[in-house]
Amino acid sequence: MTKVSSNSIIVAENIEKIYPNNCHALKNVSLEVKRGEVVVIIGPSGSGKSTFLRTLNQLETISDGTIHIDDIDLTAKSTNINKMREEVGMVFQSFNLFPHKTALGNVMLSPLKVLKKSKADAEKEAHELLTKVGLANRMNSYPSHLSGGQQQRVAIARALAMKPKIMLFDEPTSALDPEMVGEVLDVMKSLASDGMTMVVVTHEMGFAREVADRVVFMEDGELVFEEQPDRFFDSPNPRLQRFLGQVL
Amino acid sequence: MKEQHNLLLWKAVFVLVLIGLGFGIYASSKSIDYTWRWERIPQYIISVEPKDIRSPFDGTVQSVDIKNHSMVVLPDQGGNPFVIKKFDKANVMSGDIVFEGDPLAQVNGWRVGPILWGLITTLKLSFVALIFAMIIGLFTGLARISDNPALRYFAITYVEIIRGTPLLVQIFIFYFFIGTILNLDRFTAGVAALSVFTGAYIAEIIRSGIQSIHPGQMEAARSVGMNYFQAMVYVILPQAFKRTLPPLAGQLINLIKDSSLVSVISITDLTKSGREVVSSTFAPFEVWFTVALMYLVLTGSLSWIIQKLEKRLSASD
Repeated sequence: MTKVSSNSIIVAENIEKIYPNNCHALKNVSLEVKRGEVVVIIGPSGSGKSTFLRTLNQLETISDGTIHIDDIDLTAKSTNINKMREEVGMVFQSFNLFPHKTALGNVMLSPLKVLKKSKADAEKEAHELLTKVGLANRMNSYPSHLSGGQQQRVAIARALAMKPKIMLFDEPTSALDPEMVGEVLDVMKSLASDGMTMVVVTHEMGFAREVADRVVFMEDGELVFEEQPDRFFDSPNPRLQRFLGQVL
Repeated sequence: MKEQHNLLLWKAVFVLVLIGLGFGIYASSKSIDYTWRWERIPQYIISVEPKDIRSPFDGTVQSVDIKNHSMVVLPDQGGNPFVIKKFDKANVMSGDIVFEGDPLAQVNGWRVGPILWGLITTLKLSFVALIFAMIIGLFTGLARISDNPALRYFAITYVEIIRGTPLLVQIFIFYFFIGTILNLDRFTAGVAALSVFTGAYIAEIIRSGIQSIHPGQMEAARSVGMNYFQAMVYVILPQAFKRTLPPLAGQLINLIKDSSLVSVISITDLTKSGREVVSSTFAPFEVWFTVALMYLVLTGSLSWIIQKLEKRLSASD
């Protein structure tokens, strides 16, 4: 086993994922992410990028390999996975807000029930977070009364409420109407500039170019290629160029 | 304007058909020469007949105080005197010799009649069974979708056995077999049979409710650090509960109606007291209509409560 370098907050090594139906979703994927780094993962659909992202907080179990978050082995039996998930926030493509709770209730729920904070503390923090994502005037709205962009921003605030060290974004803008993509990306940009470690699966090449420290290209369950964004898009790699030719 | 007119017409048709049906029932009861005696029914719901106070022993009336409406009777065998502190009409005078069971005096006032007693018993039976059925249903429903095969198979076996046998047979088994072994009284056996029966159906309702919640909800709850139990209690079950309210209402209404079957193990519920009143009034039509109306009041109130609950939970829609 390799020595874990202390400035890497995520170290994923030789990840294999084989589903019971023999679908080989991840093939020997390794990735290191440093503290404060923004890594963008792109690739065609079915390339395993979402699956890989979901292994990082064990929403998806792995068949082989190791994942260390902050030097803690995620797959070890002794690891309290619920504790680990507090440190790794996740934002989903379909928002997955709790429909029976208001925006404020969504953000407060976990701090109240998991961190056992007082109602006053949780509410104060939730207020601050919702203000930060620009929803100060929609605190008491239920998700069904919010637009997609607003829902996704509530979802980001909900993840931030646990004060995570890492934020995972699983195609956060793919389910949004085009005019709402900007507001969500803006929140993510400000989060990145605050120094949050982020791993983002997205089709937003503009975001990758502008915000990412590193861009990763996945195809067929393999991590094909990783590079800094300014060099990434000009790379001659044929598989990457074929993909970019399709999406750009 | 035209549509408005048509609506009124069809409402009128509805009312007319109802009136026609009512008249039909009246006419057909005429044709079989049935005499309606509705006036016999109210006393079996609430009785206003004066109640006798009877002597508990052979003795002598020592004093009757007409002013304060009190009376003292001394026993022949010695011992404590029998004192009536309040009566409305005295049947005896001071110095009278009375025997055990003789009516000494009467008190006015209303008492609960047998039909109302039956209603109260049915209400009590259904309410207790409802609570237990919900608890059994919730846990079986959760076990049914558990990852643990033992829990899952237990749940499936229980549900299949209960759904595959008639409630009437289950009531007999609970009373004669389980009741004898565990020494249960009728009421407990009845409640147990009803809640175990309804619990199996509620389990399936709750299972389908939980499975209808998008898996993303569980993932989102887990991703903010909740464990399985917390995610269930705070995220999945509240949503599933709201979604299962309509089928749950149907099942609970069934429970109230099914409770009439426990009369076979001699629990004097609404149905059994109806049968008893029929044999003393010889007015079966009136009694059964009254009993039906009372069941309707029970089930109607339950569905009203659940409708209110549904309305309150729909704030997030």
